[in-house]
Amino acid sequence: MELDTRATGATGRRVEQPQVWKRFKKQKTLHLFVGLGMIFLLIFAYTPMFGILMAFKSYSISTGIKGIFTSEWVGLKHFDEFVNDYQFGTIVRNTLMLSFLKVIFAFPAPILLAILLNEVKNMKFKRFVQTISYLPHFISWVVVGGIAFAFLSTDVGMVNKALMGLGLIDKPLDILTNPDYFWGFAVGSAVWKEMGWWTIIFLAAIAGINPSLYEAAQIDGAGRLARIRHITFPGMKGTIVVVLILTIGSILGGGLVGSNFEQAFLFGNSINNSTSEIVQTYAFKVGLRDGRFSYAAAIDLVQSVISVVLIFSSNYIARRTSGSSLF
Amino acid sequence: MNRNKGKKALLLSLIVILAATLLSACSGNNEGNKGSTNANTASPSGAASESPANGGKVKELSLFIDMSWYPVKEWKGPVAEKITEKTGVKLNVTVATDDKQLPLMIASGDLPDLVFTNANIDRLSDSKLSYPWNELISKYAPDFKIDKTRIAIHTMDDGNFYTVRNAFATQEEMALNKYAVGSDGNPGIAVREDILKELGNPPVDTIENFEKVLGMVKQKYPDMIPMIMDKDWIEQYFLQQLGVEGLLDGWYERDGKVDYAIRQPAMLEFFKFMNRLYREGYILAENFAYTNDQIDDQYATSGKAFAHSHTVSVADTDNIKVKDAGGAFTFKMLPSAISSKTKAVSSGLGFAGTFITKNNKDPEASIKFLEFLASDEGRKLTMFGVEGEHWTWNEEGHPDLKYDPSDADFVNGNGIKWWYLYNDGVMEGMLSYVPGAQKTQALMERKAFTVYKPELGLIQLQPDSEEKTLKTKIDEMIKNEKVKIYLAKSEQEAVVNYESMVKNAEKIGLNRLTDWANQTYQKKKDLFKK
Repeated sequence: MELDTRATGATGRRVEQPQVWKRFKKQKTLHLFVGLGMIFLLIFAYTPMFGILMAFKSYSISTGIKGIFTSEWVGLKHFDEFVNDYQFGTIVRNTLMLSFLKVIFAFPAPILLAILLNEVKNMKFKRFVQTISYLPHFISWVVVGGIAFAFLSTDVGMVNKALMGLGLIDKPLDILTNPDYFWGFAVGSAVWKEMGWWTIIFLAAIAGINPSLYEAAQIDGAGRLARIRHITFPGMKGTIVVVLILTIGSILGGGLVGSNFEQAFLFGNSINNSTSEIVQTYAFKVGLRDGRFSYAAAIDLVQSVISVVLIFSSNYIARRTSGSSLF
Repeated sequence: MNRNKGKKALLLSLIVILAATLLSACSGNNEGNKGSTNANTASPSGAASESPANGGKVKELSLFIDMSWYPVKEWKGPVAEKITEKTGVKLNVTVATDDKQLPLMIASGDLPDLVFTNANIDRLSDSKLSYPWNELISKYAPDFKIDKTRIAIHTMDDGNFYTVRNAFATQEEMALNKYAVGSDGNPGIAVREDILKELGNPPVDTIENFEKVLGMVKQKYPDMIPMIMDKDWIEQYFLQQLGVEGLLDGWYERDGKVDYAIRQPAMLEFFKFMNRLYREGYILAENFAYTNDQIDDQYATSGKAFAHSHTVSVADTDNIKVKDAGGAFTFKMLPSAISSKTKAVSSGLGFAGTFITKNNKDPEASIKFLEFLASDEGRKLTMFGVEGEHWTWNEEGHPDLKYDPSDADFVNGNGIKWWYLYNDGVMEGMLSYVPGAQKTQALMERKAFTVYKPELGLIQLQPDSEEKTLKTKIDEMIKNEKVKIYLAKSEQEAVVNYESMVKNAEKIGLNRLTDWANQTYQKKKDLFKK
């Protein structure tokens, strides 16, 4: 009996193996590409993960990489310290607010722009708008910081000067320093910078819709808005869901438009600190400036765990409600 | 077919090479990290410059300066050339872009040969990162003599000392030399002489009168900013006028016990005063957000501000800049003391120190280089310039300078003073002795009301200790919260914010820190009593 199964198993394998091998050989080049990507992930994404150990240990940088393993275990001490930090509430609130505001305002923006652009019949104008709107994507945040100062500073800012000159305001707006303006400014500048870029992916989705659907709808008497609602929008749905899931997975980094860290780091200062300090900048400060790697690792780990939970739950919800999902 | 095979082979080898570079880059990193613990691994930049060093001629060492404002960024000019001539060492200088660069270099193990820092002295005083000077001196430079006080100040718990700060002088040393009036690193405020005159020369002899003058400026010149402050010199002058001892992040002593400076009674008065300046519109809110130390200079020298808060040399420096730009106005220093409460406590152990890192490729040349800088010749050369060309020695005991030490362009261009990787407070104090200069006057006034309590400076934190973490957290909290007090909408709000700041500090663990500080203080305070 045993012999039998072994024999059949062996013959089965003998039949299968050449086939798998054959297919593998056929796709050799592709596999090499995939393999390279895997090696990359293994080295740069998975290997460094052992550093998470730091979060549960009392690690000092002067002990080198070895120290990660040899240093003393302290359990959840660093997590406890973070939760009891006097700024904990503020930092977490800022991170969540900035992230959710970005999803609410920055996620629909490129979808809307793509639909609007799709309706533009003048090709020259369409291309012009597209170019103008995606150019800011290529400007680094540091440069945006400089531009923002030139436009918005209370003393030399162009916008303030113009508004004052027109008599619309009698005191310059302290957009760059007032804590009340920070979230609005951050979301606005992120939308300005990234909207055009993400429009491209949605325009591509629209381009994939069969034109005959539009023709048929037109014959049936559907107006422009009805066509957008019943053809363009459903045609984009798959793309929208995938992008939304990715967005929610990276929500704490700013989602689609990213840049929570860059903005908080570059536009944050000691005056607007109460709204601009977020988990990432805080971890960066205590980690690198103060050299407390264990504590910083613990802070970032908390954030990563929240992100993982968010990506799984959004994926689950998307699968249940729309049928399309990442995995 | 054959060609196809060749292509495939090429592709395959390409991939193998790519993968290999990926892996080797990774292992290279690991070696770099080991470098921090292994003395023999040179930094990448060091490796490139090693060949000329071995050639027996001029040795090139890399130096990192951990101060983003450092005015001298290259090893050039007559002073640098002279030092190279005397020591055979040339420095390849990098100036920090921000305060996180050095911590990052420590973390990555990518330290240069030498590091000059004031903010990270605790952290670099670690045998894993730096060579102890005492070891190097006994091995390579037995004639390099450093006095006991300086050694004692810098000796860490492990019994080694890793640097000696510059700009330090004991009270006796300062008292012995009357021409050592003090260094640039002291606060001062300059005001527009012409505007003061137009206002009818109102007296600025008390804090209240100074506020009144600012009010007059605001009323008569609504387009002008009454006072602009350098980002690093916002508090110091007024802290002293209001009788606060120490700075916001330091210790003060009362009846033999030490406590954190924010808890002394005079501190609240200081905060109320600063808040009043803001509420009256005498200072800009933006001023607290400047990350660039040039903005205030531009305001002052372009004639858009009445008062300029910076160091004791601010009037002289601004005047030279205004004159060079063809301006027609001048600045005048406010007296160093405009209050009966004025007090300056010098608890300083000096300013910054040089570290010889474990990555150093030639510790022998490095310690000998510092030995030269520490010699009488070396200290005078770095501080005053080339003898004969820049100064001659006056028999009275001070240099006769052939240039104006407040002329920043000249001083920086010639590399005078800024290579003070090893120097002392007396030498530096003499650079400020220019009969007739406003700075000299301000410093001499200052010397009169300065009290020396260097034993407070001995409350030093050990790297990676719990107290260091506590203090860093408290200081960081103060940095965030103090702005809320300055910019409060009413005095009441300012007081509430002040109280909540102190409470936060206590919540973080200020009492524990103070207990520790008192213990350390009691242990070490006798060091200066002989």
